[in-house]
Amino acid sequence: MNTSNGDRRVVITGLGAISCLGTGVTAYWDGLLAGGGQPAEVPLPHLNMRTKKMYLVDRAEIPAQPSHYAGVELGSSPRLAVAAAEQALTDAGLEYGACDAIPVVLGAELGNADMQEIQRSSGRTAWTTLTPAAAVVGAGIGSRAALTSVGNACSASGYALTIALDMIRAGEATTVLVGGAEGITRAGMGAFNRLGAADPVRCRPFDRNRAGTMFGDGSAMIVLEADDHARRRGAEPYAELAGAAWSCDAHHPTAPDPSGDQIVRAMTAALADAKLSSSDVGCVIPHGTGTPLNDVVESQALRRMFGERIRELPLFSLKAMIGHTTGAAGAFACLTATLMLRHRKVPANSPIDQDPECGVWLPQEGPVLLDGPAVLVNTYAFGGNNTSFVVKDVAGEGSKWSR
Amino acid sequence: MSTSAAMRTAITGVAWAVAGPDFDPATALAGRGMRHKDRSSRFAVRVAHRALEDAGLLGAPELDGAAVVVSSNFGNLDPVCDSVSTIAAGCSRDVSPMRVPHLSSAVSAAWVAIEHGIHGPNLTLCNGTSSGLDAVAAARNLIAAGRATAALVIGVEPDTPSVARLHKETAGTRWIDGAVGLVIEPVQHAVSRGARIRAEIAGYGKAADERSAVQAAGGTAVRRRLDGEPTARFGRCSGALGVVQCAMAVERLGNEAVLAVAGGGSGESDGTSVAALVLTPPRGRDI
Repeated sequence: MNTSNGDRRVVITGLGAISCLGTGVTAYWDGLLAGGGQPAEVPLPHLNMRTKKMYLVDRAEIPAQPSHYAGVELGSSPRLAVAAAEQALTDAGLEYGACDAIPVVLGAELGNADMQEIQRSSGRTAWTTLTPAAAVVGAGIGSRAALTSVGNACSASGYALTIALDMIRAGEATTVLVGGAEGITRAGMGAFNRLGAADPVRCRPFDRNRAGTMFGDGSAMIVLEADDHARRRGAEPYAELAGAAWSCDAHHPTAPDPSGDQIVRAMTAALADAKLSSSDVGCVIPHGTGTPLNDVVESQALRRMFGERIRELPLFSLKAMIGHTTGAAGAFACLTATLMLRHRKVPANSPIDQDPECGVWLPQEGPVLLDGPAVLVNTYAFGGNNTSFVVKDVAGEGSKWSR
Repeated sequence: MSTSAAMRTAITGVAWAVAGPDFDPATALAGRGMRHKDRSSRFAVRVAHRALEDAGLLGAPELDGAAVVVSSNFGNLDPVCDSVSTIAAGCSRDVSPMRVPHLSSAVSAAWVAIEHGIHGPNLTLCNGTSSGLDAVAAARNLIAAGRATAALVIGVEPDTPSVARLHKETAGTRWIDGAVGLVIEPVQHAVSRGARIRAEIAGYGKAADERSAVQAAGGTAVRRRLDGEPTARFGRCSGALGVVQCAMAVERLGNEAVLAVAGGGSGESDGTSVAALVLTPPRGRDI
């Protein structure tokens, strides 16, 4: 990876989150340690489908504002995005008014769909833009820089993180707000039901009885910053976004390539970009959605990457705790990886009856020590869009890790 | 915002899939492999073939590491509206599973990758009027960052009932129905394989106002400018605008640089941001 300014290190200096585990990063981490969230039936009418549940943000915690932007009525997704963005910027020590040069790059898949569906149900059929979140967040934080919505389905925020990383490396920006936000879409749930890819019980990746995925709503936001810029203003980084890579299966519109060649390629290239070897990885947050083929193919690909070590390398199956947050899934995984490095701990996985075809280690008894300076994250999507990225520890490099 | 990529990149392929003497959508969008694709993906797949052919890269080994960058604002609107209407009239069981992948805005880029075995980054931008120029710049950045060996950039907007309705509701009278494709690769690679360099990408800028965008692109002194012509010729080009601008610029490129501006001036605008891109004539083998 010969990036144009590949030597410029990019660090994470701010975090924000709203999910089924609550509002704020502390509530999020505590929620993961406590075993994650429980799915609940979507509190909306016209749910004429088998799977009606999601991992939902407490409706009382969804901010009422901003209710409108540029004439568009806003549903929960852009409002969650603004709230999580404000958390992340405050956490990074960046005040409103200091954000005019900060670009916003958001993964957005289902966009403002909940508001559009509500309007349609009440007979209002005028058109409004589907993915206003990046523009709404830009206006909300006072940004006058470029605002980008990445529409790469379930790997959208993995792509967004990589775009932001490249922007900083290329010298286009010193600080980028990056993340994702999703609300509820009944049409989307209906579509997944029709694909036979919606589990009616819960999101249970790697379980032998898994029957598809289950959605979750929420927003995760991350402030990425050039390391030298963060140092100059005295900001303490949480971790480094050390490397990332993309690939495309070019195999099928929805199903993964069973060979796993392109996801192995993305993982390999991400570690090379981070100048790390597979032995530096202390935990993997897999894409792991609960769809039968995805979890088997990803398990086999991880075995190719890590060899026999896969038996003792902890995986953290995040979607079992917050559901599949689609366009925000990569941002939630990046947040989780950062918190694992911060606390040097991998929370216990949700209990599953593990599929013997998925030969990976999902520690379920209790939290395990994070025994390595890097966490590898995978995000995959319809269209065979693959991203892998590496979040790396920044404190005491070289000394603290045993390997 | 500006970038100063150290690596020089060139446009080596240009293709059109817009109704005209050498493209009849009625026949070109039908036939084998087309049945289960939405109109936008059909255009994209057809223009991809033509662009790769024009660049001499059809089936080439370079495609294993190449990127697909699609720019479209309304690409899959029709399948989305169809599904919602189907569910509204009945229930989700009435939606065909074959249609479900088309609910993803990235579907056209995926079909292009599948049809041509393109395994590198697969990116879809829906950035409003500036989106096409943003896509060309994104392709250049992917190459400069070492993430792709080459890139196929496609701007596509289909004329479907849902898209037509959207344009009419926003005072539109004419809009494009088709796709335009560009192949972008490092100048050095193009020279080494003997490809015909059509133009070089010299600069790109994006900002809230036109002056800043043009300045960031290094285009302040460029005299030849292309902004509203595609819209005058095809009607609203939306997400395809910047790619159409580049294709038109390449076809008429003389000895002078051309500045393309999307989202500002007298051309199409969505009132959010303006992108500017400078194309220069090929400099020959002076690398």
